[in-house]
Amino acid sequence: MKILSTSGKVIVLIGILGLISLMGYAIFGNRVNIKTSPLVGNKAPEFTLKTFDGKDLKLSDLKGKTVLLNFWASWCMPCRQEAGALERSWQKYKDKDVVFIGVNVWDENSNALSYLKKFGGGYPHATDPDEEIQVDYGVGGVPETYFIDPSGNVRDKFTGPLTEQIIDYFVLRAQVPNNNES
Amino acid sequence: MNPNNAYNKFILHTLLITFFIIAAVLDASAAKSIDDQVKEIAYLLMCPVCQGQSVGESNSNLAHDMRDIIRKQLEEGKSKEEILAYFVNSYGESILASPPPKGINWLLWLLPGVAIVFGGLGIILFLYKSQSNKNDDKHTSENTRPEVDNDYIKRIEEELEKGDS
Repeated sequence: MKILSTSGKVIVLIGILGLISLMGYAIFGNRVNIKTSPLVGNKAPEFTLKTFDGKDLKLSDLKGKTVLLNFWASWCMPCRQEAGALERSWQKYKDKDVVFIGVNVWDENSNALSYLKKFGGGYPHATDPDEEIQVDYGVGGVPETYFIDPSGNVRDKFTGPLTEQIIDYFVLRAQVPNNNES
Repeated sequence: MNPNNAYNKFILHTLLITFFIIAAVLDASAAKSIDDQVKEIAYLLMCPVCQGQSVGESNSNLAHDMRDIIRKQLEEGKSKEEILAYFVNSYGESILASPPPKGINWLLWLLPGVAIVFGGLGIILFLYKSQSNKNDDKHTSENTRPEVDNDYIKRIEEELEKGDS
């Protein structure tokens, strides 16, 4: 039984190949422009955080400095894993116009304070009293780290525990003026 | 006590009580409508830390924060579109439960329709072809069978004649 003529078969084959090409483009195409966050290349959302020693910390006050914004929680094991690298890197960059800020999210205050005693290091840690900063920055879990350049734009987002090499890479990238910003 | 004064007081109290009841009912219905709006918007957003759950369904901390932000923005007078745009700005379009029909997303909206149309056409074509083949077979068998029978009978008759002679 012959269902399709030869020309019909060719048309169906071309249709199938066309659909496969479109799906391939959807999955693999335009890789160059894929970003880790829609915020990358755009103005970093403004925040006013309250540090654990009671001071206000505003992003707009840090203009001209590179900012490493690290989201963490006391119950997060990878956060403990990256704590040493963060502290060592902060020691290295603290006099080079690089500001490290730890942002505690989805946590109990007492647990966060105990964590800071063990893993806190010397740079400021804070919380958002409105609990909005994590959504403003599109945080999906901890640890997540945003690198903000001196002009106040988000340059990169890194998900997972940091190492000193990763911090060096992204801090240096954030310090170099970006000509490809959208 | 003047009975007129007592009557006026009674009317005044009744009016005040009625006013407070109406105000309370209106307030409750306004609060309900905000709840409904929060729910509606929350179901349009996917929870970024959950497997296939919307913000409306999820009990995660993040979904809770997101619902609070939706409520706050509604109370500030923001529209549904503005609130959705805020979340897209933070998390990207993947946060939307239904991807907007633009760019490559058109494929997601068009492919099911295309599949149904072409699948339907394929089935119709298959049924049509198989039916016409069946008819052809039937037609052929109706036309050829008597001839075969006739030949066969002829041959038998010839053989019988040969036998007789």
